[in-house]
Amino acid sequence: MVVDDHPMWRDGVARDLAAAGYDVVATTGEGRQAVRIAGAARPDVVVLDLQLPDISGVEVITGLLAALPSVRVLMLSASGEQQSVLDAVKAGASGYLLKSAGQAEFLEAVGRTAAGDTVFTPGLAGLVLGEFRRLAVEPAAGDDGMTPKLTERETEVLRLVAKGLSYRQIAERLVLSHRTVQNHVQNTLGKLQLHNRVELTRYAIEKGLD
Amino acid sequence: MAESSGLQTPLWRAIAVYRIAALVYVTILVVQNVSVYERPVFAWPVLALTAGWTVFTTYAYAVPARRRPPLLVADLIVTMAVMASSAWIVGAAALKDGKPTLAVAWHVAPVIAWAVAGGRRWGIAAALAMGATDLVVRNHYDQAAYTGTVLMLLAALAVGYLVGIAEVSQKRLERAIQMEAATRERERLARDIHDSVLQVLALVKRRGAGLDGEAGELARLAGEQEAALRTLVTGRSAAPVDANAEVDLMTLLEPYASSTVSVAAPAEAVRLPGRVATEIAAAVAAALDNVTRHCDPGTKVWVLVEDEPGSVTVSVRDDGCGIPPDRLTEAEQQGRLGVAQSIRGRVADLGGTVTITSAPGEGTEVELRVPRPSIG
Repeated sequence: MVVDDHPMWRDGVARDLAAAGYDVVATTGEGRQAVRIAGAARPDVVVLDLQLPDISGVEVITGLLAALPSVRVLMLSASGEQQSVLDAVKAGASGYLLKSAGQAEFLEAVGRTAAGDTVFTPGLAGLVLGEFRRLAVEPAAGDDGMTPKLTERETEVLRLVAKGLSYRQIAERLVLSHRTVQNHVQNTLGKLQLHNRVELTRYAIEKGLD
Repeated sequence: MAESSGLQTPLWRAIAVYRIAALVYVTILVVQNVSVYERPVFAWPVLALTAGWTVFTTYAYAVPARRRPPLLVADLIVTMAVMASSAWIVGAAALKDGKPTLAVAWHVAPVIAWAVAGGRRWGIAAALAMGATDLVVRNHYDQAAYTGTVLMLLAALAVGYLVGIAEVSQKRLERAIQMEAATRERERLARDIHDSVLQVLALVKRRGAGLDGEAGELARLAGEQEAALRTLVTGRSAAPVDANAEVDLMTLLEPYASSTVSVAAPAEAVRLPGRVATEIAAAVAAALDNVTRHCDPGTKVWVLVEDEPGSVTVSVRDDGCGIPPDRLTEAEQQGRLGVAQSIRGRVADLGGTVTITSAPGEGTEVELRVPRPSIG
């Protein structure tokens, strides 16, 4: 499923995906509609433009995951709006790509998203690193050891991703398997998303029960 | 002088109110004391003049354009004249006895007017002139006489100072409003560009990427423009750098992002003193310059900014040709290696360290680590 408010771009992406052998089950330009039809269309992967005219990227992702928990979301954005990219990742998106990425890169990213991998750009790795540092420094409000931390290895891997090394190069440099590098990257995202869910639950309990 | 200040109008109104209240006070005193005056008959015309002048100045000062020397000087002279006439009307004996002048309290109004119109200096000048007249007319120099003059001087000083501050804050407010308007306009443009031009350029680049010859070249150019434009519209706006004020390092580094340079950073501002941020940005520029000079065109560069509690680390990595390890030392011994030198020099000045790692064919990585200066 392709969600993008720019018709030319939306059709172009859909055509590319179809040409590469993917089955494009739906296209739309609105976030609300995307959430509405996701349950019926049952896409495996949603290619989502982060800036939609009606609702925010975070809302679309939350809505999509609620309607279809197994769906994997690959975000695209024409510009690196950093905070919104970070928020979208925390909300559960599994990959991020700039629209300026080449066609091959894009198709590879869709393939990897479909296979359950995370797709990181160096920029996203920098954002995630920064977010973990912020969480570590931030005085934890009523925290009980819930602040997520990266292991040394995970930090090392993320730094190398942010410096533009491919997973293969990182594996070579750290003498790890490609799969292990992949897992490390995926774990960092998992920790952020889990933390985000815990925070949201805590917030809901505070608001709802008091 | 300070006509733009939003505090001016209420201050002038306050002076008018003060003058009217003082007039009432003067009238009461004259009625009470007229029996002991040396020439009581003339007290009434002078009181009439005082009242007339009060009415006149209330209207005259209401117009901002008239709050200037001709009226201010006339105000001061008329008030001094009323006060001086006391010497003749009230008489030396009554004055010496402690009876007030015909302008008591009322004579402070023009002094405050001067302070509001011209700031501290004008206020002090008017207070001194008025105070001197007061002392001469009173003809007796006890503590009460001096206290009146000193109070007037202090009032002029305080009002003048207040007006100065109001003027400065008014200017700041105006500048802030201007900047906000500019930022909003920029955001509007960014949205428009994002929704239209960027999308089309990215599309052109994508569709044409596989094509040969001129079409492929056009697609590549479109891609470059897309990256440049993206940086332009999303870059955090770079304000002029003040050496001491804190700035977001990213406002200086993000403009370097292009189709070959990726800039990775935390989502939140990387706050550093302006001087430190400028030096880091210059060092990064030197590193990027080094890449363009020594590596093939199209060499990709990744800049990573990490904000740690005690320090800020910036890494600049390229996938270019790399530098053979012996060439680095060799060049250093020969006293050239301008670029690396300028990076090292700048970072050393900030108390930081530079690590350059490189191998032929593996690209070069320059890592700058700068300690965060303690706040305070």
